[in-house]
Amino acid sequence: MLILRKLVLVNVVLILFYISGCSSANYATYHKSQDIDFSFIKKVAVMPLKNLTDEDSAGEIVRQLIISELLASGLVDVEVPGEVLSAVNDLGIKSLTTLTNQQIIAIGKYLKVQAVIIGSVQEYGHVRFGSISAPEVTISLFMADTGTGDIIWSVTKTRGGASFMTRHFGAKSDTMSETVLTVVREAIDTLAEY
Amino acid sequence: MIKSTTRKLHLLSSLVLISFALLTLLISGCSNRVKQYTNPEINIIDVQKVAVLPLDNLTSHKYADKKIVGVLIMDLLSRGIDVIEPGEVNATLRIRRVQSSTSLPVTTIKEIGESLKVDAVIFGSVSTFEMQKGITVSYPEASIYLTMIDVRSGDIIWSAWHTSGGASFWTRHFGSEGATLDETARVVVKEVFDTLF
Repeated sequence: MLILRKLVLVNVVLILFYISGCSSANYATYHKSQDIDFSFIKKVAVMPLKNLTDEDSAGEIVRQLIISELLASGLVDVEVPGEVLSAVNDLGIKSLTTLTNQQIIAIGKYLKVQAVIIGSVQEYGHVRFGSISAPEVTISLFMADTGTGDIIWSVTKTRGGASFMTRHFGAKSDTMSETVLTVVREAIDTLAEY
Repeated sequence: MIKSTTRKLHLLSSLVLISFALLTLLISGCSNRVKQYTNPEINIIDVQKVAVLPLDNLTSHKYADKKIVGVLIMDLLSRGIDVIEPGEVNATLRIRRVQSSTSLPVTTIKEIGESLKVDAVIFGSVSTFEMQKGITVSYPEASIYLTMIDVRSGDIIWSAWHTSGGASFWTRHFGSEGATLDETARVVVKEVFDTLF
């Protein structure tokens, strides 16, 4: 009976551990075209992201993180950001965040990339939960095939808030940078699932 | 009597077990390993002399970029890598009217590298460099993005994004003095270069 009680106690602790983990509010939705062979994509260009937050640099921070994570993942090569800017200037593209099919195809031909990544940063900052403030990040990314201009991958990822263990037991909470890193890494991971 | 003592002992051992599990959970937190890209076709030993271009400052701290560049240069020199004087780099960039190092096309990067007679150039940005207010304490946070380009080929040799900081277990629970912002900056630079050299 005592052994059983002890086992129950240990299990409760373990369940708490697994439930709390390292994540808090954490949602992702993504789509990948089933009729596209992603292995043909060798090099991509990451376009500047639309920044829908109050943080001026949020778009550029997330963009650089996407470039770093794509390279580190080994999935694809990434065009140097300066080359992307040159292409945009030379092709006379005014709005970087709303590209037409023809512009996507033109960028692909100019930079010799098989896909471009576009998207937006919707949340980037601290939110308050009663007396606690915690980081919150939400991003949406799209990959367009430069052969056709069609969207072949899209993901929306959000993460934020203080976890159960942080709120009640003072466990370490993620910093803003750790939160954005996790959001981007998990978004890129959905691309790796092919 | 014996039965009661045994029950108390079991209860005590259970409490110790729970406390130990919770303590481990609190101490551990979530570790943050550097995930980086290294070009397999380029031997890093061939990189003996580099130029560190001014970083883009994406923080609200006015001098974050300059402080991190100083730490980068110190760290590279301590690893036996020759680094071009920042004044020399700035003069070269001024001639070419360069505003931002992260928006440079490869041809310009190669020209700058050849002009400075270096094997590679490093550029990037500082995305966080500040003291953050946590739930009960303040803590330092620094995040950097770095890319190294081979001057001869124009290819990316290495790229990494890394962050360091946050309140430690002892700071959160016992109010002990945590790392300063400058110490955190040195840690983030050291950890990111440890993956390369």
